[in-house]
Amino acid sequence: MTMPPRLRKFALAAHLTVSVGWIGAVAAYMALDVAVATSQDTQTLRAAYLGMEVIARSVIVPLAFASVLTGLVMSLGTKWGLFRYYWVLISLLLTIVATVVLLVETQTISYFAAKAADPTTSSGDLRALGSTLVHSVGGTVVLLVILVLNLYKPHGMTRYGWRKQYEQRRKQRDQRTALVP
Amino acid sequence: MADPPPAPDIQPHTTPRWVKVFGIIAAVVILLVVIVLVTRPGGHGPSRHTGGLGGRPLPASVTDHGV
Repeated sequence: MTMPPRLRKFALAAHLTVSVGWIGAVAAYMALDVAVATSQDTQTLRAAYLGMEVIARSVIVPLAFASVLTGLVMSLGTKWGLFRYYWVLISLLLTIVATVVLLVETQTISYFAAKAADPTTSSGDLRALGSTLVHSVGGTVVLLVILVLNLYKPHGMTRYGWRKQYEQRRKQRDQRTALVP
Repeated sequence: MADPPPAPDIQPHTTPRWVKVFGIIAAVVILLVVIVLVTRPGGHGPSRHTGGLGGRPLPASVTDHGV
């Protein structure tokens, strides 16, 4: 089912907002992650770990789910479909992988935040926790790849999309032939 | 199931080169991640920070204060 133009624009605006917002939230998270990776100051570490959890749980996770949801709406409500074009299919897979890794990583972040919130945790323990920089940098790269795919929409239909197009064109051709007296 | 014969106005199905390159890069990245996960001592996730079995050794402060 294809959405009417006004609804399609609204859905596109929503999808762009949450998807780009997701990248922005990860950038804010990464700033704290860098602070954690480089700082030796106990107060900075405590504040950064707590901030990382708030950003991850309250902003990044909701935006990730919203991005998946609006992406599905955009795919199924437009001519692009979900499995017809390689760029859509790859974007979908990468978004799902990024969301799953994020959900797993959120547990680690919560553990860090719990340790940071505990006043009995010593400076040495805090420094030993480490950062999640590999995940946040990797996640940013994946999100940027998805962004580029969605902007450039590189050509190429999947085998499924090719079949659908073939059937559609054959049907149109048959209709045209039937109309000719 | 075999592909139907192409209509005169449609090209036969081919996989674009960028998809093949993308697939190779993805396979290499997945392989690297698996190697890191398998070879890294202490596994993956919060448990690697607890200093438990196979984890990172506990910091000196923990052993000093008996926490």
